[in-house]
Amino acid sequence: MLLQLNNIFKWVNSGGQRIFLLKDINLEVHEGEFISIMGPSGSGKSTLLNVIGMLDDFDEGEYDFLHESVHTLKEKHRANLYKEYIGFVFQSYHLLDDLTVKENLEMPLLYKKYKGSERKAMVADMLDRFNIVGKKDLFPAQLSGGQQQLVGVARALISNPKLILADEPTGNLNSQQSEEIMELFKKLNQEGVTIIQVTHSEKNAAYGSRIVSLLDGRKV
Amino acid sequence: MLSVLNILGLSIGIGSVLTLMFSVYAYYTADTNVADQENIYYFKTITTGGDSYRENPYPMMDKIVETSPQVIAGTHLHGWGNIWLERGDKELQERTDYVDPEFFEVFSLPLKYGDTRTALKNKYSIILTNRVSQKIFGDTNPVGETLIGADSLNLTVTGVFEPISPYSSFRLGVVLSNEVLKDNPNFLSQSNWSNSFSPSYLRVRPGTDIAQLENHVNQLVQNNYADPSVIAKLKAMPYTESRMDSIPVVRTIIGGNIATSFFVLLIVLVNLLNLNTSTMFRRTKDIAVRKILGGSKNSVVIQFCIENGILVLLSVLISGGLFLGFLLPKMNDIFGADFGKISFSLENDYPVILYAIGLGLLVTLVVGILPTLRFVSLPISTGIKGKLDDAKRNFFIRNFFIILQFTIAILFICIAIILNSQIGFMKNADLGFKKENIIVGAIDLEYKDIESAELNFEVLLNELEANPYVQSISTSEAIPSDYRFNYTTFYEPNTDRDVRMRRSYTDDGYLKTLEIPIAMGRDFDGIQDNTEERRVIINQTAMQALGWNSIEGKRLKYKNDSDAGYSVVGVMEDFHYQDLQNAVEPLVHFYRDKKNLGSHRYLSLRIEEGQEETIANGIRLKFAQLDSRRNYEQTYLSDKVSGQYRLIDGMLKTINVVALLTIFISCLGMFGLISFMAKRRIKEIGIRKVLGAGVFKIVVLLSKDYIILVGIGALLAFPLAWYLMNAWLGSFAYSINIQWWMLALGGLVAVLITSVTLGIQAVKSASANPVKSLRTE
Repeated sequence: MLLQLNNIFKWVNSGGQRIFLLKDINLEVHEGEFISIMGPSGSGKSTLLNVIGMLDDFDEGEYDFLHESVHTLKEKHRANLYKEYIGFVFQSYHLLDDLTVKENLEMPLLYKKYKGSERKAMVADMLDRFNIVGKKDLFPAQLSGGQQQLVGVARALISNPKLILADEPTGNLNSQQSEEIMELFKKLNQEGVTIIQVTHSEKNAAYGSRIVSLLDGRKV
Repeated sequence: MLSVLNILGLSIGIGSVLTLMFSVYAYYTADTNVADQENIYYFKTITTGGDSYRENPYPMMDKIVETSPQVIAGTHLHGWGNIWLERGDKELQERTDYVDPEFFEVFSLPLKYGDTRTALKNKYSIILTNRVSQKIFGDTNPVGETLIGADSLNLTVTGVFEPISPYSSFRLGVVLSNEVLKDNPNFLSQSNWSNSFSPSYLRVRPGTDIAQLENHVNQLVQNNYADPSVIAKLKAMPYTESRMDSIPVVRTIIGGNIATSFFVLLIVLVNLLNLNTSTMFRRTKDIAVRKILGGSKNSVVIQFCIENGILVLLSVLISGGLFLGFLLPKMNDIFGADFGKISFSLENDYPVILYAIGLGLLVTLVVGILPTLRFVSLPISTGIKGKLDDAKRNFFIRNFFIILQFTIAILFICIAIILNSQIGFMKNADLGFKKENIIVGAIDLEYKDIESAELNFEVLLNELEANPYVQSISTSEAIPSDYRFNYTTFYEPNTDRDVRMRRSYTDDGYLKTLEIPIAMGRDFDGIQDNTEERRVIINQTAMQALGWNSIEGKRLKYKNDSDAGYSVVGVMEDFHYQDLQNAVEPLVHFYRDKKNLGSHRYLSLRIEEGQEETIANGIRLKFAQLDSRRNYEQTYLSDKVSGQYRLIDGMLKTINVVALLTIFISCLGMFGLISFMAKRRIKEIGIRKVLGAGVFKIVVLLSKDYIILVGIGALLAFPLAWYLMNAWLGSFAYSINIQWWMLALGGLVAVLITSVTLGIQAVKSASANPVKSLRTE
């Protein structure tokens, strides 16, 4: 088992009232799964994804990732955990505008212990794998949305994560680009990468193996 | 928070500029009460030995006035001991200057009471300064009242000066006519062509050919001086340069003040510009909306100017309070003793307020208009997105400003460090004598009966001799730090050299008490014989100047004098009898008996530590029995010695403050900038964090560029600091070499302070939760 959420609660206090963002979430994810989280706006999809990605805290419950209890880990240890095992893909790509494609790909490696030559090899490998060698010196603004997201996925994959978390990865793309990205995800999943995506699209959800539906912070 | 800091920085900055500029203003307006200064000259004596002084022989001035039709009037202005004045049971001594009846024709100082045409007509006239007049007579008009001078003269008050600006070059107390001195046999014996003791001032006709007058005067020197061969030249000096001439360090201070205020102002301006540019960035959207709603370019600029105007005005007000309540008194503490305290009065100094307001307006306009120009002309479509694509171009200007700020700040820090080392060097240098455990008392107490005083003094000396805590006793005319500017020129026929020597009287205990080693011959010996008075001890520098190898049978003689001269009994090793800004010059000590209160001014005792007060009390009691006008005062020699550096200590203090100020203001700007940059890069920070960057990495990312800019500033500041300080240190007779680490330390201090400032803000931004900053729109 890759990760397990037990009775996760997350809330904010507003005007003396407790508003639940996540309410009693239980979720088991096994390696090799491709899960789609669905639900209307404000139902807590992104929050759940952030909790899984350890970017956000929760208030109650237990979270085990690869048999480590995330809720008891220190910040630094937790950071190391997600740095090593999790890759993120965002709706608006979140590439750094000042860096070239190559540099964007290399960035996550800078924060891990790789040598310069290793980094170069990994970046070259990734450029090759995604067929974007010709674009390595371009800046994100010079790419189409689909291409940018391709770089975004490549960046998420560069340090060989076990889990990819994608927050509406095709939200800013047209249907043809969406399809390409989803095909890519499917392929990656077949290669053994676990994927959890947040999506509104039934079509995208269909690529997955399982759907988790949320409403008002609850699993339904 | 940021705007509070902003106002604070601005206030301190403007306050300092005000203070510095006020001292410059005070300096330049100080002598405006003297009309037509450009036609007043004095003649500076330059000797063949390279010395220069303002004094001339007393008869010189009259000779010039008699023989030069271009000279309208002339006056001496010199002291001859400060006179004691009595009025009823009040007795006081004030600085006394002797002048000629033509004084007011040369210096048109206005009188509050009395008439300048008649004030000096009478031989026994006395003119008081307003300060002295108030001390004696209160607010009443004292003209016609009498004062007893020196127990014997009936002086009539004929005038009171209008209050003289305290920073004027006239430091007067009371003014008497030279005619009075002509009854003084001592004065008559000295007022000949061989002694130069009297500065003289001449008013010449407008358009006078000064070079020609100078030639004429030098002709007079050749024809009249007792020994014209030692005089290289008499140089005509305009009175307007008098102050620069008398205290050379004034030039450094005034120049430094002007440069410093300029730099501080520049930093303040740059700082505001930077902060305003940041504000404008944040407001691009705001401006675009205004423009869509029909606002014109001008209205945006005006709004921005008004906002800045309020900020600046508030700061000017605060800085005014700071200036009057803190900075000005502080400056007076530091420089008052040397240059006179300066004070602000609305009546005289209202232009300063106008300057301050003008300055505020200028600052407002510059910082208000410059940053807006770019932004208001942006296309609305770009502005409304709140984004600026040409941000890169802006970086260059801003980086330039940051470098400029830090160059200045680091320059000041380096100057402070180097000056500090120099002062430390001077204070800790081997002085050639031991200043510790020596107490010195002033014994020129103006005794009414000197003979009985000397008898009593001898008893006291015997008592001190018997005191087991007193290790050594000396009386002398001078002590290190207070040698008088008395010189005698001796002639050595064998080497054909004229040697001008500083001279002083000491007893036979002086070298022993100060532990100054004898290099050759012997110390004075009070018992040996009573002809000791014709014997002298010289220092090694004097010996070299004379070109001697030994003192065997050597005598010091005056040129063209058949007198037997002085037998040189010993050579003392060189010691620093003045501060280390001045070189050790040839020095000659004449012998005077220990109890000679007529020539000795100091009693120096080397004593066991801890006994100072007991001994002082004993001496005080003894002197209290004598009829004298002053009380016995006692200090430590070490205090006297370090007191020589009071002025330069003061300069160091000022520079320290300025250095702190510049780095503070620069950091303030930096703080604002990085908060702004962090805000602009908030998304990038979020992405990097999600991709695994730790807080430290983000902090480095955010601060790195600025630290580099500070580094560039340091590299620019180093040669500048080196050049400036090298030039300044050149004016010290004994100076340190500037070491690389002094500059490096300055740079390091700046980098450290900046890092801390940056770090605070950077850590804050770096610790923010990335989820918030990355939330999809």
